[in-house]
Amino acid sequence: MAENSGTDPTVDSNVVENAASDETMIVVTVKTPKDKEEIAISEDSSVAQFKEEISKRFNAKQDQLVLIFAGKILKDGDTLNQHGIKDGLTVHLVIKTAPKATVGGTSQSSASSSGTPQANSSVNPSAAPNDSTTPGTGPTPASTQPPNLLSGFGDLSSLSGMGMGSANFMEMQQQMQRQLMSNPEMLSQIMDNPLVQNMMSNPDLMRQMIVTNPQMQQLMERNPEISHMLNNPELMRQTMELARNPAMMQEMMRNQDRALSNLESIPGGYNALRRMYTDIQEPMFSAAREQFGNNPFSALGGNLDSGVQPSRTENREPLPNPWGPPGTTPSEIRGTGASTTTTSSAGGTAPSASNPLGINASGLGNGVFGSPGMQSLMQQISENPQLMQNMLSAPYMRSMMQSLAQNPDLASQVCTTSALSAQQQLMQQMLQMFAGGGGGSSSTVTPEVRFQQQLDQLSAMGFINREANLQALIATGGDINAAIERLLGSQPS
Amino acid sequence: VLAQTGGVKVPRNFRLLEELEEGQKGVGDGTVSWGLEDDEDMTLTRWRGMIIGPPRTIYENRMYSLKVECGPRYPEAPPFVRFVTKINLNGVHNSNGVVDTRAVSALAKWQNSYSIRVVLQELRRLMMCKENMKLPQPPEGQIYTN
Repeated sequence: MAENSGTDPTVDSNVVENAASDETMIVVTVKTPKDKEEIAISEDSSVAQFKEEISKRFNAKQDQLVLIFAGKILKDGDTLNQHGIKDGLTVHLVIKTAPKATVGGTSQSSASSSGTPQANSSVNPSAAPNDSTTPGTGPTPASTQPPNLLSGFGDLSSLSGMGMGSANFMEMQQQMQRQLMSNPEMLSQIMDNPLVQNMMSNPDLMRQMIVTNPQMQQLMERNPEISHMLNNPELMRQTMELARNPAMMQEMMRNQDRALSNLESIPGGYNALRRMYTDIQEPMFSAAREQFGNNPFSALGGNLDSGVQPSRTENREPLPNPWGPPGTTPSEIRGTGASTTTTSSAGGTAPSASNPLGINASGLGNGVFGSPGMQSLMQQISENPQLMQNMLSAPYMRSMMQSLAQNPDLASQVCTTSALSAQQQLMQQMLQMFAGGGGGSSSTVTPEVRFQQQLDQLSAMGFINREANLQALIATGGDINAAIERLLGSQPS
Repeated sequence: VLAQTGGVKVPRNFRLLEELEEGQKGVGDGTVSWGLEDDEDMTLTRWRGMIIGPPRTIYENRMYSLKVECGPRYPEAPPFVRFVTKINLNGVHNSNGVVDTRAVSALAKWQNSYSIRVVLQELRRLMMCKENMKLPQPPEGQIYTN
C-alpha cells in the first residue's frame, strides 16, 4: 500500500519537472546601433549570465556591456524573467569603451543619410585618417537638410569642435557656397589662410579630394589625361603652389586673358590655331607631358576646339602647343579654365590638365573664412583629408563648371603661347569666371598691329614663321627678347 | 498599422500595446528604448524611456533614463516626459528634469501619429544641436530626486 504523503518523491519530482524547465532556451536579439546578434540563452538566466554570452559574441568585456530593455537598464543581478525578456524580443546593447571611443556603441548608424544627391559614395573610399573615435559615422541631421557642400561628409566628428549642430552646419555650408559664387575676392583671402596653404601643400590630400569628387571622376573618364595629371605629384605640387600664391595666379590670369583676347582678334588666327591644334595635338600633348615637371601648365594641350566651340561643355583635354613643345602651351589654360569652375570651399577648384587642383579663385568668402567656425573647420580639414574630399563634391561645383562651359569668352581665353602667361591667364580667367562669368577682355587693336614693329624685327632676324612670331609676341606682351627665346626654344637648333 | 493612419482615432490601449510591442522588439535604430515602467500596469500609463547619448557630443556614452506618462487622452494629447538621469539640455528643467513641451517640437506640435519613440528620438536629436552638444553635464549617474 503506498501512502500518498505530501513528500512523495516521485510526484514531487514530476511536479518539479512539469513546473519549470531549467533548460528552456530563448533566442533574444541583441542590438547595437551598428550590429545585431541573436543569442540563445536560458530563459531563467540572470542578466550577468546573459552578458557573459554577449561578451563572447560581441568580443567585448562583460563590464563594458550595458543592456537596455524596454527603456530600463538591466542590472547584473536581475533576471531576464524579471524584465519580461522573452523569446524573440530585442535588447539594446551599448558597449562602453574608453571615454570617447564608441566601438559599436553609441555611434550612429547612418552618416550620410542627409539626403545629399551626390558624393555620399565618395565619403569613405579613401582611408580615413581618423582614429577609432569616429568610424566613418557622422551626425545624422534631419534628412530634410538641403544637399550642399558638406552634405557628403561621412565624418563630421571633427566639426563638432566647431560647436555646430548638423542643422546649422548645413546652413553654413550653403552660405559658403553662395559667398563663393558671388565674391571673387574671397579666394585670395582664403588662400592667405595658412590652413588652406597647408592643405594645398599636401599633394596627396588634394589628389584625394579631387579624385573622389564624382564630377571629377566623370571628367577623368572623359579625359584620361586628367587622371594622368593627378598622378603626377610634381605637377600637382606646382599647381598647388600656384594656387597658394594668389598674386601670382592673378598675374598669370591677367596676362593669359590678354593674350587670348589678342589672339582671338587676329583675323584667321583662331582658325590657324585650330588647325595647328588638330594637327599637332597628339604629339604636343605627349611632348607637353614631359614638361610637367617644369611647368604645371605645360601639359595644357590647347583645346582650341573648345575655344572655338564654346558651347561644348568644359573640355579638359590639354590644348596642344602650336608653337613648339617646350612648355609653351596655349589652351592648357582652356582646360584649366574649364575646370576651374569647380570650387571647393577650401580653395581647391576643379582640376584640369594644367591645374589638377582646379585652383578656384572665387573665394570662399573672407567673411565666412574669418569666422572662428571656419577657422576650426579648416583645422579639422587639415587633420582630416576626407573632409575636403567630401567638400569637393559640393553641388555647386557642378554649377560652376557649367557656367564656365557656357561662357564662350572664357573658353576663348584658353589659348596662350607662353607657359607663364598661360598660368597667368588661367588664374585671371578663374578670377574672372567667378566674378560673374568672366567676360573676355576685348582689345580693339589687333596684336598684329600692336606688334608690327616687333614682328618686323623678328622677321629681319630670321624668324620667318610669322604666326609663331606673333604668338610669341602676344605671349610675352611684345617683349622681343622673350619672344625670341620662346621661338628659339620651340625650334630645334 | 492602424495607429498610423491619419484621421482614424485609435483606441488608446491598442495604440499603447502596439508601442509596447515595438519597444520590446527594438523597432528603430537602437539609440532609444522604451517600455512599461511596471509590466503589471494595466492602464499602460507609466513608461520608461532610455536615450543613448549621441556620439561626438558631450552626451556621448551616457544613457539617459526618462519617465514618460501617457495620460488618458493619449495619443490625442502628448505624453508627459521628464528625465530621470540628470542632464543639462535646453528645454529640460534643471531642477526636476521635466521636459518643456514648448521646447520639443514633437510635443509642441503633437500629432496623434507620433509616439513615445518619436519623442525620445527628437530629444536625442536635440542633444546633437549646436546649442546643446557642448553643454557641461553633471557627473554621470546622478538622478533627479524630486
